[in-house]
Amino acid sequence: MSIDSPPVDAHGHGDAHHDSPEKVDGRERLGVWLFIGADVVTVAALLFTYLYLRAVNTSGHWMSMWGYKGSLHTYAYWYNAAANGTLKAPTLIHVGTVSAGLQWLVAAITVVSAGLLWVGEKGLRSNKNAKSFSATALVAAILSVVGIIFAAVLLKDLPQIFVSVNDSNTMSYTTYDSAMMALLSSTIFHLAILAFLGLGLSIRAARGVISGDRWYQVRLVRFFWVWVAVSSVVATLITTTITSTH
Amino acid sequence: MTTTLEHAATTAQPKGGGLARHQNFGTAIVAGVILAWVGWFLARHLFWSSSDDWSDQVTVLTITGWMLGFWIGIGAFNAPFQWLLGRDNSREDNLYYAGDQQGRARYWKYTTDHKVVGVQYIIVTMGLLAVGGILAMAIRTELITPGTHFVNQQVYNSFIAIHGMVMILALIVAVAGPWGNFVMPIMIGARDMAFPRLNALSLWTLVSAAVVLVGTLAVGGLPVGWVVMGTIADQAGPGMDFFAMAIVIFTVSTTVASINLITTIITMRTRGMTLDRLPIFVWGTVITAALALYAFPFFFIAEANQIFDRTTSTSFYIAAGGGTTWLQANLFWLMGHPEVYVILIPAVAALFEISSTMARKPVFSYRTAVGAMVALAGLSAVVWAHHMFTSGWAPSLGGPFMVTTELISIPTGIFFLVLVGTLWRGNVWMKLPTVWMFGFIFNFIVGGVTGIYLSDIPLDEQLHGTMFVTAHFHYIFVGSVLFGAIAALAYWFPKVSGRYLNESLGRISFWLVFVGVQVTFGAMFLSGLKGMPRRDASYSFAFEHTNFISTIGAYIIMSGMLILLGAIITSWGHGEPAGPNPWHANTLEWQVPTPPPLENFDVLPVITEDPYHFDETTVSV
Amino acid sequence: MDTSANKSLRTFYWSWAILTAVGVGLSLWLPHRYMPEAMSNDAHLTMTTLILFSISAAPVAAGVYAGALHILRHHRYTGDGVPPPAPQIRENTKILVSWITASAILTVFVLVWGLGALAAENNSSSSNPLIVNVTGQQWVWTFAYPGTHVVSNELYLPENREVEFRVTSVDVTHGFWLVNMGVQVDANPGVITTIHTTPDRLGVFEVRCEQFCGLNHAFMDAIGYVVSPQKFSSWLASQPARA
Repeated sequence: MSIDSPPVDAHGHGDAHHDSPEKVDGRERLGVWLFIGADVVTVAALLFTYLYLRAVNTSGHWMSMWGYKGSLHTYAYWYNAAANGTLKAPTLIHVGTVSAGLQWLVAAITVVSAGLLWVGEKGLRSNKNAKSFSATALVAAILSVVGIIFAAVLLKDLPQIFVSVNDSNTMSYTTYDSAMMALLSSTIFHLAILAFLGLGLSIRAARGVISGDRWYQVRLVRFFWVWVAVSSVVATLITTTITSTH
Repeated sequence: MTTTLEHAATTAQPKGGGLARHQNFGTAIVAGVILAWVGWFLARHLFWSSSDDWSDQVTVLTITGWMLGFWIGIGAFNAPFQWLLGRDNSREDNLYYAGDQQGRARYWKYTTDHKVVGVQYIIVTMGLLAVGGILAMAIRTELITPGTHFVNQQVYNSFIAIHGMVMILALIVAVAGPWGNFVMPIMIGARDMAFPRLNALSLWTLVSAAVVLVGTLAVGGLPVGWVVMGTIADQAGPGMDFFAMAIVIFTVSTTVASINLITTIITMRTRGMTLDRLPIFVWGTVITAALALYAFPFFFIAEANQIFDRTTSTSFYIAAGGGTTWLQANLFWLMGHPEVYVILIPAVAALFEISSTMARKPVFSYRTAVGAMVALAGLSAVVWAHHMFTSGWAPSLGGPFMVTTELISIPTGIFFLVLVGTLWRGNVWMKLPTVWMFGFIFNFIVGGVTGIYLSDIPLDEQLHGTMFVTAHFHYIFVGSVLFGAIAALAYWFPKVSGRYLNESLGRISFWLVFVGVQVTFGAMFLSGLKGMPRRDASYSFAFEHTNFISTIGAYIIMSGMLILLGAIITSWGHGEPAGPNPWHANTLEWQVPTPPPLENFDVLPVITEDPYHFDETTVSV
Repeated sequence: MDTSANKSLRTFYWSWAILTAVGVGLSLWLPHRYMPEAMSNDAHLTMTTLILFSISAAPVAAGVYAGALHILRHHRYTGDGVPPPAPQIRENTKILVSWITASAILTVFVLVWGLGALAAENNSSSSNPLIVNVTGQQWVWTFAYPGTHVVSNELYLPENREVEFRVTSVDVTHGFWLVNMGVQVDANPGVITTIHTTPDRLGVFEVRCEQFCGLNHAFMDAIGYVVSPQKFSSWLASQPARA
């Protein structure tokens, strides 16, 4: 009686894949829905962070902070000025809203890529042309990368405020920009996953693993892709309409 | 009854597996360390000049390197990249991944066989309990009398936080990990779980997270309390980055595990296993998994925000920047309260199963038991702010949260009805699992009732933040959950090892731990009533007697747990042999041989009734 | 009727009664023996609530314990080998309904009492409370009396006058706990939280920090004194003004 090596089934079934593709797909569909569920909660927590911080608005500093406009000089300059005691008195810096246009651009790119994939999936199921689907998936993946680039630009442009208090010197962000940073990071992470998935679908279709008869995985990816697009729209709606507190 | 499968392997070596043939825990550690160094190197050269917080950025990037390297080294990325390139596993590959013909080596690898994962979870749980236990003994020894003794305050403050989080991690997986994995798929008549590779991922990710969490001790510790409130956590050293990253990694593990458990239970039940014939342990597992799926993302975001605050100086939790510590508290407890039911429900569900088998009668009020677990899980999502009654946040919400919290006592009370009702008029077989179950019943009353006190706001305004709270949740975690986990271990031990867990050593251990719990935490209630705050490295002389008694009790618990450890180690290799169904139970895991064949069943069973029929014909082995 | 079954049920009921009595006894004794001296209206209410809840819980706990003991005495299998099947009881609607009803009633009772106590606590605002500004910082409490120049590390309060504490922190979250008054609230940076109570007994009391706040959290105590209103005024007058 040992746990060293259990006897192997005589029929050589080493995996669960002697189940029919439909059965496996049913399982995987539920798995994807559950994963989307966890992601819904995650995005909700991020949006909760944004809305809650705005509602509490501690000391009225949702979009403002005492300090020095970080973009005027390099960090080294500020740091040295603080060390030498040559800093002037800090001012109350008000930050502007993150570009709504660019935010919507990122959301739009995500939506378009999702639509593209969906159309591609429909096409694959009807005309069985795996090669053309492969191209479609590749375009969708590239669009995701484009989305990442724009989101990264937004991230990079979040205004920094140099704060020097009690010998603690740092480039800081207002609460609003903090929440935007978290949301933009999440966007980039999700888009990166989409790019990976799109590329995978493209390669698999080109190699014939995905075909007009075996398209189940495309639908699984599409579920997730559409969710990311929906979450992108919902989040952008919130962050472009509910901004300043006055 | 299935026959034992006997089939001599026709080949001497397993085929397939590809890169995975060379990957194991060792390569995972090596790859983790290498990439950690890469992360450290990159961070030092990219970030040193951009802000004062470079040490936090370096720490986070280093740990990110560890996390990625560990996954690469253990083989977690093999499948995704194979998928990307359009190359899927062959049947031989899958057999290899399942551990076919690899003997003991398969326990060190990214093995997908749920039974291997179950055993791995037993080892990881024991490891975490050991670390947490050592810290507990350090804490209680330091508190034996007032004043500072063998650790200074900073170290003590660090020990209590790490003890807390390590034990929480251990208890989250203590029942659901080993038995949700090893037993549950067989119980529902499946050959494995829905996503075998995710199963291996959840286990090894937990290992990776546990290393980072325990690694906190090496970088100055975590003197912030395990609830890592926003402001104090911002002040802390790199240990806090370790903690936050450990949590980020850990939530990947729990999310993946939840998806796997739920999908398996919903889609892979064998023919005839309708929901009302489902063993109650399976109900407990799926309910827990759903609750965990909902709750842990909040923890992920709570800690991600903290990482941002520490590495990029955002202002989520920093009041001076416009943030608020209440955001951290809300996010944390949105996770934190459901989490304690994620910990509790598997233990209770396992005890339901044990009570039925050991009393030789059906689970009493099966449907109500299921309903109570569902109600408990549902309610647990709307009570979180009772941890914040005295924080000053939203006083007007105090009343509503008091209502939802007190309502929880109704489903919790039903647990007692079911357990006692199942045992009532039974022929109760007093074996080791039963003994620990009675201990649970005693301790859970104490823990549950004192929870009601704390849910009452005027009472909480006196008792919050005192050792009364600590005693309450230790009666739940140690007195109830741990007792349930040990009962589950004693119950399913013969299925995993083919031997009984030593009955006499187990009983000695039981009495020591049981008495120790009353002494340690009973006296701790009194410390709290008297006014001793929790998380105090030293205390006033008013509390010296009760603390002294608590420390004595801790040593009693320790001796009991060490004897239990000895029992586990000796029984696994040399214990009294047990047949495939030593408890003469009806659930499916007992109808397969020990050890179960790789795919559990030669022919999948067809179910015609629930497993709670004990009659004269039930005794066949 | 099976007399041995009746007999054993009688011992069950007796055990239940005896254990309940023990529980009630402990409920009446332990809080008085161990809790700090109650020096405010809230503290008295806390003590009463604790005793009341314990007494209510006693029959529940006792019932479960008596049941477990009964099972251990009368339903334990003492033979060799596997126990034979027991009566295959799956449901007992009467017991189920009684149990749920009883626990619901108990829950409602506890809730009503608790909500009532909460309302009483919140509504006791007098029109002229004494305001004390409390500041927590690592690792000391500072008390300021607005309207005067007094800033002190010791908390003086006049007897029988409602006091409203406005609490904040300058660094991390602390827990402002008046151990003998049965009230506490966190001190958070950037916000002011409020609690109030009415001291009703002269004497010395303790202030402790009950929210972990760093290295010397264990030592963040303060001393308080409830004195007569006259003594309070003279104490205020005698304090040096701080910058």
